[in-house]
Amino acid sequence: MALIELTQVTKYYEMGNQVVRALDGIDIAVGVNDYMAFIGSSGSGKSTMLNILGCLDKPTSGQYHLNGKNVETLDQNQLSEIRNLEIGFIFQSFNLLPRSTALANVMQPLIYRAVGYRERKKRALEALARVGLSDRVDHLPNQLSGGQRQRVAIARALVTKPSILLADEPTGNLDSKTTVEIMALFDELHSEGQTLIVVTHEDEIAQHCHRVVEMKDGSIANDSGPSSNQSQPEASR
Amino acid sequence: MFFALFESSRAAFVSIFAHGLRSFLTTLGIVIGVASVIAVVSVTQGMSAFIGDTFSSLGSNSLTIESYTPLEDQMKGIRARLTPSDLELIEKRADGIASITPILYANRASQVKYGSQTAFSQIFGTTYAFQDVSQSYMRAGRFIAQSDNETRRRVVVIGDKVRENLSLPENPVNEFVEIGGEWLKVVGLLEPKGDLMGFNQDDLVIMPFNTMRSIQGNQARSDIQIQLSLTEQADIETISQQLTSLLRNAHGLSGEDDDDFTIQTSEQLMETFDSIINMVTIVVGGIVSISLLVGGIGIMNIMLVSVTERTREIGICKAIGAKRHHILMQFLIEALLLSLLGGLIGLAIGYALGNLISSSIPGFPPATIPLWSIALALGFSGFVGVLFGILPAAKAANLDPIDALRYE
Repeated sequence: MALIELTQVTKYYEMGNQVVRALDGIDIAVGVNDYMAFIGSSGSGKSTMLNILGCLDKPTSGQYHLNGKNVETLDQNQLSEIRNLEIGFIFQSFNLLPRSTALANVMQPLIYRAVGYRERKKRALEALARVGLSDRVDHLPNQLSGGQRQRVAIARALVTKPSILLADEPTGNLDSKTTVEIMALFDELHSEGQTLIVVTHEDEIAQHCHRVVEMKDGSIANDSGPSSNQSQPEASR
Repeated sequence: MFFALFESSRAAFVSIFAHGLRSFLTTLGIVIGVASVIAVVSVTQGMSAFIGDTFSSLGSNSLTIESYTPLEDQMKGIRARLTPSDLELIEKRADGIASITPILYANRASQVKYGSQTAFSQIFGTTYAFQDVSQSYMRAGRFIAQSDNETRRRVVVIGDKVRENLSLPENPVNEFVEIGGEWLKVVGLLEPKGDLMGFNQDDLVIMPFNTMRSIQGNQARSDIQIQLSLTEQADIETISQQLTSLLRNAHGLSGEDDDDFTIQTSEQLMETFDSIINMVTIVVGGIVSISLLVGGIGIMNIMLVSVTERTREIGICKAIGAKRHHILMQFLIEALLLSLLGGLIGLAIGYALGNLISSSIPGFPPATIPLWSIALALGFSGFVGVLFGILPAAKAANLDPIDALRYE
């Protein structure tokens, strides 16, 4: 079964008396260990897509099954739990807690899972080692470079061992050298079996991904098809 | 639940100390509120403790009998009185009495003259036992002796204030003062006691009880106060019942009439004082605790600012899995900790302030802080913290994660 299954998902916003169709009947399935990119110009609905995939937002209509669970029926607290257990977020602006050290930032999601301090620290150190930041654990975000901050954010996303890693323009604020490093890390994670979904407008980033979905005006304009090891039917319009 | 509480407290601590100055200013309102409550309570309670000590030094088994006229009778011109014959009666008939001290206040203008100087003072006659009862010590000369009383010697013992007012020499013994046209020899000067709550305790003239009676002339009309101390074995209730029936008989009161005298134990007196002081404590404390309310509003204000300022952080926490109660608890505990810290600092300042006040006013008893006031101050500031923390915390917890993440 697919990890993510969207059936006729729509998302409408009301702006004044105008209805904005951010997502307009999306059908898509994402399998385990997919490495996919959503591309499109701004306003194409890819950010809304990410919010819905990340359970930050709920669709106006349609169904979203994540790991077999119907997200639609969940309340705010249950959505928080899903985000904590199933999803790892990586943001363009890193979104680290500014007054917490790298280590504390990576430990943070485990607090909401009621993991004890020692275990938290152990897992966080492992995650930081995984992204190659073992020597920066006690630094505050403003003492780190952009690439290092994004690594901390990736470590924070990885520490919960999520089913999906969701990255929103992960290299948007980084120079080309660090972009290459971060993408290399993503490739590595994919080769280890991690499912990754990246939202980007840069073609070089999308080229790393095995499946590219282009969005336009709230619909899927083009889908390069499921990754090699998946046999889901193509969902496009 | 306990885990979440612990982690929220940890986060709250980090946040409070990360903004040291702001946290301090936020909590200043609570600090001032608690400090003033504690200062007021400690000063009044110190006074209360002092009065308690004073009365217990009188002995718990002492009684004071005074005449008592109901207001209605006073308006008819009737005045109840205790007379020297009541004193004799009690001396002869009552059991269990260790010592008996009559006090007779001068009923005319209490003028004392020495040379060309005139002063007004509290003048009363009593016996040698009064020295023990009032815990008076002599600076010069001697106190009234028993024989002074028996032979109605024209002698007085004066307080230091009277000596000063009359410009008597440093050692006034053997000088003569004039009271009501009579010349009396000064035989002793009392050790000064200083002020007690604004009353000078050294402005007094003491003469033998019988001398006072003879000076006053019309003995039948005099109204005396009788202080009794009881023997160790005597039961205070039994004795006061016996005294009541003795005096009722002597005053010819039938079953329907009310007593025209009151018998007060030192405990009763103390309770009266205590209730007055407690009333003062409650009223002043109540007024002062309004500042705690103001302090609480200050905390709410800053917490609301803090929530707005940290909107993005809240969004991050929610995105990585924080539930409503995680955020709610963190902000609530932060408000609670702020006000409790303020309460603790206020407690220390209030204690210092109370001591400062009571030591800077001469004759004022030292401040004491009862445990209940500490509990009350901390409890109340904690309550204020929770009360005024709820609104900001709820605001934070209800933030939509997407909006919060977008917040700049």
